[in-house]
Amino acid sequence: MTTLCEKYRGKCFLDVKGQDLAVDRIKAFIKIFPSKKAILLHGPTGTGKTSLAYVLAQETNSEILELNASDLRNREQLEKVLKPATQESTLFGKGRIILVDEVDGISAADKGGLPELLSLIEKTKFPIIITANDIWQQKFNLLRQKSELVPLKALNYKTILLILKEIAEKEKIQVNEEILTSISIKSRGDVRAALNDLQAVFQINKPEEIGERDKEDDVFNVLKQIFKNLVNHETLRLYDTVNMPLDEILLWLEENIPYEYHGEELAKAYEVLSKADVFRGRIHRQQHWRFLVYQNILLSAGVSSAKEKPKIGFTLYKKPSRILKIWMSNQRQQKKKSIAVKYAEYCHISVKRAMREFPVIKYIIQKPEIQKQLKLEEDEIEFLSK
Amino acid sequence: MINKESEIWTEKYRPETFEEIIGQDEIVKRVKNLTDSLNIPHLLFAGPAGTGKSSLALITVKQLFGEKWHENYLELNASDERGIDVIRQKVKDFARTKAIHSVPFKVIFLDEADALTREAQQALRRTMENYTNTCRFILSCNYSSKIIDPIQSRCAIFRFKLLEKKDMDKIIKRIGEGEKLNILEDAYESLYEASEGDCRRVINLIQATASISVNITKELVNTIVSNAKPKDIKVVLEYALSGDFIAAKDKLLDIMLKESISGQDVIKAIQKEIWNLQIEPEIKVRLTEKTGEIEFRLVEGSDEFIQLESLLASFVLAGQGKI
Repeated sequence: MTTLCEKYRGKCFLDVKGQDLAVDRIKAFIKIFPSKKAILLHGPTGTGKTSLAYVLAQETNSEILELNASDLRNREQLEKVLKPATQESTLFGKGRIILVDEVDGISAADKGGLPELLSLIEKTKFPIIITANDIWQQKFNLLRQKSELVPLKALNYKTILLILKEIAEKEKIQVNEEILTSISIKSRGDVRAALNDLQAVFQINKPEEIGERDKEDDVFNVLKQIFKNLVNHETLRLYDTVNMPLDEILLWLEENIPYEYHGEELAKAYEVLSKADVFRGRIHRQQHWRFLVYQNILLSAGVSSAKEKPKIGFTLYKKPSRILKIWMSNQRQQKKKSIAVKYAEYCHISVKRAMREFPVIKYIIQKPEIQKQLKLEEDEIEFLSK
Repeated sequence: MINKESEIWTEKYRPETFEEIIGQDEIVKRVKNLTDSLNIPHLLFAGPAGTGKSSLALITVKQLFGEKWHENYLELNASDERGIDVIRQKVKDFARTKAIHSVPFKVIFLDEADALTREAQQALRRTMENYTNTCRFILSCNYSSKIIDPIQSRCAIFRFKLLEKKDMDKIIKRIGEGEKLNILEDAYESLYEASEGDCRRVINLIQATASISVNITKELVNTIVSNAKPKDIKVVLEYALSGDFIAAKDKLLDIMLKESISGQDVIKAIQKEIWNLQIEPEIKVRLTEKTGEIEFRLVEGSDEFIQLESLLASFVLAGQGKI
C-alpha cells in the first residue's frame, strides 16, 4: 500500500499548506525564468520542499526529473543524466522541471558533483529546483549566489492538525481530536513524521498506543541498565536496542539522572551530558555525523560510569517533561509576543527588547487609549488584565 | 514640545528636531551639518540603548524629506529579522524605485545591526554597494566591534555616550512638567540609578509609576523597579547549594520560561550572583571558572538547558564543599 505521505502529496498549489510565502516565491520564479535559473528551497525536513517541486510540475504541466541522495551524484553521473536533461527538449514539447533533491546529501563520494551542478545551472534550458536542509555550509557559497533562495518554515502545529483532520476525514477513520493534536505537537513541524504517525494510528486502530508503549518499555529497560549496572561489554550497544533517536534518549537521561544519582555522581553525570551536548551542537551545525560516536559513548558508558558501585532497588523512571513545558509556555507567551510586536513597531524598537522590558511596559499599556493606539485585539487586552 | 497625540511617552516626548536632543551635542552638530548639505554618507551610530540613536536617525530623515519622509524611509530591525534573505528582499523592493523627492536617495535605518551574523553582514556590505546610488544606510549598533571592518570603513561612525545625570534630570523634569506630575527630589536619584543611562527606560519607568500615582516618590519607583526585575536567579542557586537539585532545575526552567530569558542571560546573572553567596571565596573562584566553561559550551552545544543543569550540579557539589 502507498503511504499516506505519497497518497496525499499536494497536487496543486492550493494543496500546499502553511507555506504561502514559498508558494508565491516559486510562482514568481517560474515567471522570471530563465533570468534566474535555479531555485533553492531550504528548511527542516517534512515542510514540503519536495512536494512543492512536484506541485509545480503538475501546475505547469511539466515532466519532472528527480535526482536525490539515493542516486550517485558525482561529476560523470551528473554529466550523463542531468546534462542531457537540461539541454534536450522533451517529447511533445512539454516543459520539464529538474529536481535535485537533498543537495546537502552530496557527499565526498560524489566527486566533482557540486561544481558540475553549478555549471549545469549556468547552461540549463529548464528550471532547476534544488532542496536542502542546511544551506549555510561553506561549500554551498556559490550555489547560494546562483540560486533564488526560498526558506520554508517548520509548520505550526495547528496547520498540521488541519492537514491530519482533513486526511482522517477522507480516509473515513474516526480518530479523536486529542490524539491528532498530540501527533501534531509531537511532529514539531514535520508533516511527514505526523503523517507516518497517523498511519500507524490507522493501522493498529488502537489509537492511544502508537507503539509508544513498547518504546517506553525498551527505554525503561535501557535506563535501568545504564543507571544500575557498572559499565560492561554491553553498555556501548545498549542504545541500539531501542528504537529511539539519541537526541530523545538524551532527554530521558536528563530527566532521570537526579532520581538515581546524587552529589558527585550527579555532577559527573551532568558533566558528561554537557559534553555530549557540545558534540551534538557540532553535529547539527557542521553536519559532522561522525561525532555521533562520541555522543553515544558519552551518553552510555559516560553516564553509567558516574557511579562507583552498582545500584540496587527499583526506580520508576519518568517521561521527559521539559519539551512539553516549553511548548505550553510558548502557547502562553504567544499573546505577550503579539502585543510586544505591536508595541515594538510603534516605538521603533526590536521585539526582543520589547519582550525584555515587558514587565515595565505592562504597567503603561493598561490605559485604554494606549491599547487603542496600539490596535490591540480583544484577547490581547484580556491577557493584559490578568 | 509635545509632538504627537501619542499616549506612550517615549513616543510623545521623542525629540523632533536636532535642537531637542538632549546630550550627544557634538554628534548632533555634525549630523546636522551633513543633513543641511542634503547629502549624507552611510552612517553608523554606535552606543548603548536609549541614548538617542533611533531618534537622531528619524530626525535626519524628517529633515531631509520633510512631509514626504514616510515614503522615503524604511526601518528594519536586525535583531528581529536576522535572516539576511528578509533584509535583502525588503531592501531590494524598497530601493528599486527612486526617491520621490529632490533628495536623490532613500534612507534605510537598520537598527541593532550587530545582531546580524558575520555572513549576513558580508551580504549587507554587498547590498550597500549595489544600491549606493539610490539608498543610504543608517546602521545602529551597541558595539561597533561587532560590525565587520568593510562595513565600518564605508560609514561615517558616531559614538553615542550614556546619558549623564544632568541630562537625565532634564528629561525627567521635562516629562514631570508636561504630565503635571509631582516628582520628588529623591525620586530623581532612584530613577537615574534604575535607568542605567538609558533614556527610554527612564521614561517608561516614569510612565509606569505615574500609572499608579501622580506623586512620584522614591519608594514607588523602587517598587516598580523591583517588581519588574526578572525573578531572582539567587533562589535557584540557593536550592542547588542546599542539595535540592530537582527544585533548583525546576525553578530555573520556570524562570526562563516565564521571563523568556535566554541561557546566555542566565549565565551572566549566575556569574554575578556567585559573589553574593554565603560561601568561601575559594569556592566562588572555582564556581566562576566552571561558569565560564559552561558559557563557552553554551555557544558550542545545542541545548542550553542541559548545559545549565550541569552547572547547577556543580553548585550542589559546592554546597557539600566537594568542588
